Amino acid sequence: MSKFLKLSSLPRSWDTAILGLLAMVLILASTTTEGFLTSLNFSYIFSNTSEITIMAFAMTFLIITGEIDLSIASILALGSSMLGWSYQKGAPIWLAIIICLVVGTVCGFINGFLVTKVGLGSLAVTIGTLALYRGIANGILGENTVNEFPEAYTSFGFDTFGTSFMPKTMPLIIFFGLVFGFLLHRTPFGRRTLAIGQSPEAARFAGINVVRHKIIVFTFTGFMSGVAGVIYTFRFSTAQADNGVGLELLVISAILLGGVSIFGGVGTMWGVVAGVLLAGSVESWLTLREINAQWRTIVTGILLLISVAAPVLVAKGKERREHKALKS
Amino acid sequence: MNFVRRLKPSSREASLALILIVAVGGTGLINPRFLTGDGTRDLFTSTSVVALLAIGIAPIVIMRHIDLSISSTVGLTAWVVADFCAKNPDFTWVQCFIIGPVIGIAVGVINGLLVAGLRLPSLVVTLGTLYIVRGVVYVVSNSVDYNAQEMPPSLLDLGQKVFFGIMPLTFLLVIIAMLLMGFFMKYTKAGRDAYAIGSNPPAADLVGIKVFRRTFLAFVFSGFMAGLAGVFYLMRFAQVDSTAFYGQELAVVAAVVIGGVTIMGGSGTVVGAVIGALLVQTIQGGLAALGVDAFWKAAVNGLLLIIAIYADRVLAVRSEKSLLAQRIKERV
Repeated sequence: MSKFLKLSSLPRSWDTAILGLLAMVLILASTTTEGFLTSLNFSYIFSNTSEITIMAFAMTFLIITGEIDLSIASILALGSSMLGWSYQKGAPIWLAIIICLVVGTVCGFINGFLVTKVGLGSLAVTIGTLALYRGIANGILGENTVNEFPEAYTSFGFDTFGTSFMPKTMPLIIFFGLVFGFLLHRTPFGRRTLAIGQSPEAARFAGINVVRHKIIVFTFTGFMSGVAGVIYTFRFSTAQADNGVGLELLVISAILLGGVSIFGGVGTMWGVVAGVLLAGSVESWLTLREINAQWRTIVTGILLLISVAAPVLVAKGKERREHKALKS
Repeated sequence: MNFVRRLKPSSREASLALILIVAVGGTGLINPRFLTGDGTRDLFTSTSVVALLAIGIAPIVIMRHIDLSISSTVGLTAWVVADFCAKNPDFTWVQCFIIGPVIGIAVGVINGLLVAGLRLPSLVVTLGTLYIVRGVVYVVSNSVDYNAQEMPPSLLDLGQKVFFGIMPLTFLLVIIAMLLMGFFMKYTKAGRDAYAIGSNPPAADLVGIKVFRRTFLAFVFSGFMAGLAGVFYLMRFAQVDSTAFYGQELAVVAAVVIGGVTIMGGSGTVVGAVIGALLVQTIQGGLAALGVDAFWKAAVNGLLLIIAIYADRVLAVRSEKSLLAQRIKERV
């Protein structure tokens, strides 16, 4: 029933518009650019967006609750640095990976603690922890890089299954996508997330433990940044302090492109996946057209602006139409 | 909050100044050079760009907005001004001081239209323009760098000018800007409106404050200051490439917040923002004097910012409580 309702309201919402936009970009790119519609290129698109997708899954919850975490890329870097550092110090690789995940989880928890228990604004706090976490990574590794990892693991980072377009990280991403999609759309936890985003006050009066809920969301955002840290480390086969600089903006712009409202309370997981794929496809298209990296910075910025402006403009247009309809 | 501040207009700034003096003194104990005329001059010189930007974004933060694009704007203006000067050898500092702010204002107008006109969240908009403007620098610069020999000597001379052995011209200009802006924020209607908008945006709209115009102009002002800061950047470093001032926006935000401008808007002063900038610079210098690795710099910045936000929160809760107690007393 709920699914049916959602389908009937589909054509009007931004997250369906994004699907159309994605289809348009894919068709345009495939017809105008040689080498776009190949399995190799799609494997690039999927593996290039793997960390972004992983972090976006968790971050979607955070933005829906009306909070934000700008420190995720720094958590990724700190996790990655700790992974490399501990491996270099002689820890077995599985332990190094666990350290990376634990570091991510702890960092996320610290963010959540500062925001909810101490009562500081998430924007300001995570700007602070953005500098703090990366600073610690810098302090630990300095200018060193660690790039001697077991081949089985680095192969997991950048190889595909046989000659198919499926990167080896793909099943992991699909697994997380299903888990988080289910969590958001089919569980009380997901409903609570949306409720808090609509109105934290009302959610609190309805008996939702908003503080605990937000801490949980911050913590698993940290954990997923740790997961992204592991993948990033193995994909590039390097652990260094400036891993993933600026990735937080790509994650946020992909999520907003996917129709999640920056004001909280609205969003779907499939919209976010479409947003990530759109950003990834545009990026790949530009690369294949040999448009240099400098232009891509501009395109990222424009995508971010579109992703935040378009839903607002669409809503305004809708309001105006309804207003007109009411008048007549 | 505002009410309390008006009763004790400079308490926050006074305590900040005290912390600054302690920090300078403490660093001086470790490294006596810090307390000499040269040390003071170095502190002023290295703070002037950040302080100028802090003055620029303080009104925006007071209005509960933020401008992250400033560092990209500094990079853009610094490069373009250097480019103009390299291509027109007869340019002097006068042209630099015209071109720089004009470019800054152009970026500010775009930010202002998107934030005030379309009512989009300033954080996301200015993140977007941060990217776009930096991308424009990459594209137009095409990996060309400029050094001192391509810049007008008159501009570089101004950058070297020092009064009384301790006061560089650049920092004197910062102080003048601070005083003008401090006066403006405290005693003009537009300045008071900024505090009202930051305290409660919908209420400010309802009481008839021109929220659009004020917000728009605040972003234009911040762009203007970023343009000016770009010229200051050239005066200080006498060289520029496409990554100039990359990623420094957080240092500026940290300076402003440490200086007592609440990130939630509605309170803080321009004077505080400048003291905050000096404090951040002093602590960095102090750490270097202590022999702390430069790699920890960012971590310290982040920690400082979190502590500042925390202090802010504690003060806000305390004044809220005292206001509440006062109100209850009046009722009884």
